[in-house]
Amino acid sequence: MKIEKFKDNGRYDSYMNLDEGWLDRRVFWEQAIYDREMEQIFARCWLFVAHESQIPNPGDFLTTYMGEDGVIVCRQKDNSVKVFLNSCPHRGNKVNFADAGNTRRFVCNYHGWGFGTDGALMGMHEEYCYDAGDIDKSQWGLKQVAKVGNYKGLVFATFDEAAPSLEDYLGDFRWYLDMLLDNEDGGTELIGGCIKSVIGANWKFGVENFIGDAYHAGWTHDSGTRAMNNGQPFPAIDMKSSYHASMNGHGWEFGTEGVGDLFLLGRPKVLEYYNKIRPKMAERLGEMRSKIFGSVASASIFPNVSFLPGISTFRQWMPKGPTQFELRTWVIVNKSMPDDIKNEITKGVMQTFGPGGAFEMDDGENWENCTQTNRGVVTRREKLHYRSGINRRIEHPELPGIVYQGQYNDANQRNMYQRWLDLMNAENWKDVPERYSPRLNGKETMGPKAGLKVA
Amino acid sequence: MNLEILKTIEQTLYREARLLDQERYKEWVGMLTDDIHYHMPGIENRYRRDKTEQVHDMTRMAFYDDNLEDLKKRLRRLETGTAWSEDPATRYTHLITNIEVVPTEKEDEMLVYSNFLAYRNRNEKDQDTLIGNREDIWRKTAEGYKLAKRMIILKQNVLLSKNLNVYL
Repeated sequence: MKIEKFKDNGRYDSYMNLDEGWLDRRVFWEQAIYDREMEQIFARCWLFVAHESQIPNPGDFLTTYMGEDGVIVCRQKDNSVKVFLNSCPHRGNKVNFADAGNTRRFVCNYHGWGFGTDGALMGMHEEYCYDAGDIDKSQWGLKQVAKVGNYKGLVFATFDEAAPSLEDYLGDFRWYLDMLLDNEDGGTELIGGCIKSVIGANWKFGVENFIGDAYHAGWTHDSGTRAMNNGQPFPAIDMKSSYHASMNGHGWEFGTEGVGDLFLLGRPKVLEYYNKIRPKMAERLGEMRSKIFGSVASASIFPNVSFLPGISTFRQWMPKGPTQFELRTWVIVNKSMPDDIKNEITKGVMQTFGPGGAFEMDDGENWENCTQTNRGVVTRREKLHYRSGINRRIEHPELPGIVYQGQYNDANQRNMYQRWLDLMNAENWKDVPERYSPRLNGKETMGPKAGLKVA
Repeated sequence: MNLEILKTIEQTLYREARLLDQERYKEWVGMLTDDIHYHMPGIENRYRRDKTEQVHDMTRMAFYDDNLEDLKKRLRRLETGTAWSEDPATRYTHLITNIEVVPTEKEDEMLVYSNFLAYRNRNEKDQDTLIGNREDIWRKTAEGYKLAKRMIILKQNVLLSKNLNVYL
């Protein structure tokens, strides 16, 4: 038997064949592939770093990670947001140890180097030890990211000056994102706090689960569904009127029945609320999007943010090595909702998709074992099957992106791994191919006419 | 403090821990009052000068913020027979220590402090240990003391476990 050794030659084509519909398991296991992901994906892509509502006032900050790089996200006096490394340029010490707060400066514990809320070096303890010419303070601030962007309240940052604009990066996925971020006047906010947990799985298993895996829900979550809804089973899926849509590696799987995810939340008042605002939603977003919102659905923004529109969990999968991620979860609500609806949603999310949630508990266990079985050298040489629905691609007059019919499908997952592969192989952004025909480049994404196919 | 009350409440806490170890959840629910509030807040790392109320602000995110109906809903998952990650069963041990009983303004209610160590082990070698403080209200009823309120402070920022299939 020929033992094929893992070799990293900078080309990853041999680790998957998405036309045939399979992946090599080593993309979920090898340290060298993970290290390359940090360089090729996390050091280049636009990454979610905050929701605006988490840092409303000047001096408000939070700390998070871009890949494994710790960063501080801070609201400026002019209301803009800056993002910089949470590491002192003197000896590298971590500068800020809080999850969030408000401050006038960041001071390093080691030698008292002090930085403004914009990250600029202001001064240091016993400054007289530096003679003239020893240090140009203007050059030794906390390292800024290359670009910061905002899409309807979600703040993203990228380390790569050459990254496309955030608008181009999200592409036509903005049409879908508007259902989450702009379904009512006033936009969204995150409920206070953040629940974090550790799962011994590869980060991509979380992302791909939310990007397209409606298929697992009826089986994995049978117990959770019945628990939350008086014994009723998972809602029936209509394979004719449900879809996968993907663009630039982002993806949204959804029905068009409008109520499935709202039912799964197990909070009838929330369903009532959305049914009440649905006609207005249709005016804002069109009939189609008002029917997609609230249906059985899940979505991911490449590379590592996911959410359930309707259930309102919003989460990020923070990679911590090839076999572990930290899951950070929030609850996203419309600002204009009455407090009791916000509270109902918060409780519903906690009971379904918190670490003690009736749904979440069965997911983590699966992803850990999907990852850990690859410890076996023979096991990890085996392929994984990703071919479901491979011939169901359609052109849809109303739905932008690469669209497949039937939400039980591996299409979004295949497209996510296509983007992964494109980025892993590409030396620069110019080499990353456009895999779909955008309808909304430079165009308004709101309104009933947005996103329609133009003949 | 009347030693007999102290002993009775201690024994009640130990009995509760034994029921949880043995997954005897129906009996455990029988130890809860109809108006129970079972709360475990999520607590962020904040600087000492930051006075953000993280424990008592009920609009913030939590691991548990449950009334009796909410708890029953969660427990129903185990009765479906399809809670795959609970089969084979998790092995639990709850250790309860540092019990203090303090009278309250209400004659029938006792404020009870305690610490817990909950050990979980499942499958081949999954294991974790959850440690923290509890602040309870136990109410005297015809059926003995029942739990009316529990505030759990887990001593972790990032939950160092994949889930919380456990009651503390």
